[in-house]
Amino acid sequence: MENKTLASVRKPIKVLDGKVMLIVCIIIVAFLYAANIFGIFSSNTMRYLMKIFLYITMGEMWNLLSGFTGMTSLGNQTFIGLAGFTVAVATSTYNLPIWLGILIGLAIGVVVAFLLSFVLFRMRGMYFAIATWVIAEAICTAFKSWPYVNMGGGMSIKAKPYPKTPEIYLMALTLFVVAMIVVYLLLRTKTGLGLTAMRDDADAASSVGVNIFKSKLLVYVIAAGFTAIAGAIFFINKGTIYPDSGFNIDWTVSMVFIVIVGGIGTVSGPVVGAIVYVLLDEFLAHFPGWSNIILGAIAILVILFLPDGIMGTLQKKLHFEIFSQKRFSEHKKDIGKKAQLQ
Amino acid sequence: MGNILTFEHVNAGYGRVQILHDLSFSVEEGEVYGVIGPNGCGKTTMFNALIGLIIPSSGKITFNGHDITKVKPAQRCQMGIGRTYQVPRPFEGMSVFENVLVAAVHGANHSEHDARKVALDALKLTELYEKREIPAGELTLLDRKRLEIARALGTEPKLLLLDEVAAGLTEAEVQDVMKMVANLKAAGYSIIWIEHVIQTMVESTDHLMCMAQGHELLIGDPRPVMESKVVEEVYLGVEEEDEE
Repeated sequence: MENKTLASVRKPIKVLDGKVMLIVCIIIVAFLYAANIFGIFSSNTMRYLMKIFLYITMGEMWNLLSGFTGMTSLGNQTFIGLAGFTVAVATSTYNLPIWLGILIGLAIGVVVAFLLSFVLFRMRGMYFAIATWVIAEAICTAFKSWPYVNMGGGMSIKAKPYPKTPEIYLMALTLFVVAMIVVYLLLRTKTGLGLTAMRDDADAASSVGVNIFKSKLLVYVIAAGFTAIAGAIFFINKGTIYPDSGFNIDWTVSMVFIVIVGGIGTVSGPVVGAIVYVLLDEFLAHFPGWSNIILGAIAILVILFLPDGIMGTLQKKLHFEIFSQKRFSEHKKDIGKKAQLQ
Repeated sequence: MGNILTFEHVNAGYGRVQILHDLSFSVEEGEVYGVIGPNGCGKTTMFNALIGLIIPSSGKITFNGHDITKVKPAQRCQMGIGRTYQVPRPFEGMSVFENVLVAAVHGANHSEHDARKVALDALKLTELYEKREIPAGELTLLDRKRLEIARALGTEPKLLLLDEVAAGLTEAEVQDVMKMVANLKAAGYSIIWIEHVIQTMVESTDHLMCMAQGHELLIGDPRPVMESKVVEEVYLGVEEEDEE
């Protein structure tokens, strides 16, 4: 009985993924595309936005692994480095077009993720995290002594004509949009429902029939694929890649920062986190040496005072959720759009 | 009625340590089958062999006419064996409803749309319906135990395994649990119930097995089993020290 009152005291959660949210998102995305076509943004703005799009994608993928599935990875840079080098090798060694380089990078990322899964999925929690990191470092070391990728000397990406900033911006924007749609839809599927259960208790999830290995594999491969493309685009923008830049743990550090600050386990969190991260990163570039210290301090403050991150705290305080993966027993009132999605 | 489950001369253990010694028993369809025995007698090992966490070194386990001795746990769940955890393990970040929905979607292989009805029925049967939107992490112990059962029901089991659901509850709550088990039986589920709370075993079960040293010591109607000398010796003697 006491719980009955508890239930009535609790404010109902409003889910904002009905028509209004959809329209808002479409407008924002349409604007981002239109701005590119009509050349509204300066190339500096485009560079900022491009960075944001790529970091959102990487953050969403890390969040999908850690926040929704319970696989905290410290080795997503594996896929960034592999894809970056693939584009470099494809364009400079084999003179392939750049899009083909990206596709091969994607394929290599997915295949490597698939192969690694057989080793990695035997481990959980901290062991999984450390194993992913060790693998990334091992690949980095191997690349430094592999003549095929110019040892540690780095490679440059060559393409004729080399994609200009607006084109790279378009690639990044499209990747970000597709990544958001994939994450949202994945979480709405049966598998998506099982993921949250797995995160909370993998054994119990398995005992109610969730296929742990299959679900993990699906999520890991998706995360690897998108992270790989994001890495490829990043290095296309940069022009050169070294083992130390491609396989750097800093990639994962930024993903963790983005997800923790934005709100782990929320779809909107990494979007906010990535915007905060890129703006801070650009701003702090004026204070070389201090930037990591300040970023770290911010992360600690957020963990202490807003453990659910910016979006997580806002959602809890204001009782709403954007792109919620929640399932409700009644699906008429707030939910509207959801019934159609099923 | 036929047997839903039989153990035939099952030997099993962990590594070289053999726990179950030539264990045989059978559970009839639609009955509540109680299992008692002192700590270390192999109840949990029997349970693990039944859900597939350990594979017997010899012997045969038949469920619903199929030999399941070597079938994987997830598959057993889909065949209709629903388990509960002794210490409840809800998915704390999900609502009560979502907890059961996961089971109905993955365990019973329903589409999410059909699973809703299954989940809501399970919640009604376990009296959690009113609390369905509460995060599972906020439930009381009794409600967590209810949720364990509701989640198992979500997988649409033929056989339901209850592992010490009455442990740690007050006397009034134990009554609630017994009422719930009676409802489950009336709804047609076959139930295996491992328990230390004697009252539940005497009053709620149709057959009672007392285990000792990995073997069935005595099987029969609950009252005669409870009152027999052998059971008193191995079980009740130890039970005194066991009191929590």
